[in-house]
Amino acid sequence: MNRRGDTERLLRELAPQALGALVRRHRDFEACEDALQEALLAAADQWPREGIPDNPHGWLVAVATRRLIDAVRSDEARRRREEALAAEPVAPPGPEVDDTLSLLLLCCHPALTPASQIALTLRAVGGLTTAQIAAAFLVPEATMAQRISRAKSTLRADGIAFAAPGPDDGAARMASVLHVLYLIFNEGYTATSGPRLQRVELADEAIRLARLLPAEGEAAGLLALMLLTNARRTARTAPDGALIPLAEQDRSRWDRAAIDEGVALVSDALVRGPVGAYQLQAAIAAVHAEAPIAQATDWPQIAALYGLLERVAPGPMVTLNRAVAVGMADGPRAGLAIVAELDRSGALDGHHRLDAVRAHLLELDGRREAARAAYERAARRTTSLPEQRYLRRRALSLSSTPAPAAAAPQQRRSPPGA
Amino acid sequence: MKYMLMIYDNADTRDLFSSEAGQELMAQVNRVMDDLTESGELIGGEALADPSETRTVVREGGVPVATDGPLAEAKEHFGGYLLVDVESVDRAVEIAMSWPHQPIEVRPLMNAGGTEM
Repeated sequence: MNRRGDTERLLRELAPQALGALVRRHRDFEACEDALQEALLAAADQWPREGIPDNPHGWLVAVATRRLIDAVRSDEARRRREEALAAEPVAPPGPEVDDTLSLLLLCCHPALTPASQIALTLRAVGGLTTAQIAAAFLVPEATMAQRISRAKSTLRADGIAFAAPGPDDGAARMASVLHVLYLIFNEGYTATSGPRLQRVELADEAIRLARLLPAEGEAAGLLALMLLTNARRTARTAPDGALIPLAEQDRSRWDRAAIDEGVALVSDALVRGPVGAYQLQAAIAAVHAEAPIAQATDWPQIAALYGLLERVAPGPMVTLNRAVAVGMADGPRAGLAIVAELDRSGALDGHHRLDAVRAHLLELDGRREAARAAYERAARRTTSLPEQRYLRRRALSLSSTPAPAAAAPQQRRSPPGA
Repeated sequence: MKYMLMIYDNADTRDLFSSEAGQELMAQVNRVMDDLTESGELIGGEALADPSETRTVVREGGVPVATDGPLAEAKEHFGGYLLVDVESVDRAVEIAMSWPHQPIEVRPLMNAGGTEM
């Protein structure tokens, strides 16, 4: 392979570790990032010509530190800081993974808005350019640049330190990192069109970043969930961009290696530890992944897992998903009863997924006209173009032909006794 | 989530901006725009010319035809928009409330992403 390509890949891997080491030592996030950018540019220029140094991480940190000192020197108003900087001991070669983790914790600090956390994480840990991040989220580069600079100034203004979180907030800080990675993943995974390559890369990027975390507990659960979901990526859309529902996907196109890794991860995490929401969602994805055909799906197990998830992380969306699983396991009317309850609570008022699930269960129950009306309501309410297309198609399929001699085709789809 | 804030004008709105209070209204507009820029929520926005400057292209007998004036005579006209990328619809509504005059329609944008069901 060419040396320039090798260098670029290596630099992207090393950048967060080097930035972590710099911020750990010098604190000023923005100055450290600027200095590292210069060091990265120098490396991209020199390494392909002169070869990769024996200790590339140390090389980057040393060059960036020199740039940092130069920058401080050139700024008269900051002369006193120069002395402080010069007096600091040389940073011990700290464990690299810890520096990356600390950097992630810093970028996902709860003082930042989610939009800023995402932008800063992709910039500082992911090593993506502002233009790439802006393109991935379909916003102008100026908007994304502003989110990044606002994030940096918030960190500075709040004096947020680059330090391991204490025992009190350790779990909360890690939860914040996981949530940011989950948001990045979803942004990439749900993309069906647009600047496709860049958006699809977000899913891979989230998985790559999740691999930097210790493979335990909810971090392992999230990695498993992303691998198991992403395994379906090529099977979930038709060549024309239309969404293919889980039940109709060509399962031979699912990525078996990703499924195997995800299943192993979540199985291991579930036996070892306190059960978390990502682990349970991964377990549900694993049950789907293990069914060779849709009809063989173990719906009672999925319903039970959603029941657990409702206890660990209650929310109307979880209940709605349980309604689907219960509808498939115990018959559509059992699912519709849960939907009716949700409807009364008003928690998902006007949300298209409530109507989409209702429509699906009504259709299973053979109530075509009510199902058609619910599909149409859902289609009007969704802001997703491919979902709208899918929901309209379902509605249309129920209105075009009157049920031929009603009973026979419906009986097959309805559970016994329905 | 991306929303368009569709700002409607009536005959009085533009007079309002020319009145004595107009300067304060403009300052308020600028403050909102600065805040949205600073927060990284603003994607874009434009003000439109007077509705009388509108040319409307309609289809008559299958052929496109240009006519003078807006599509419908109405008290309120679409006068401009803000495009924002925000955390929630509540935040989008909050922005619409901070604008110096209303009515404003807050409407989500369609997006190309989707989840299989």
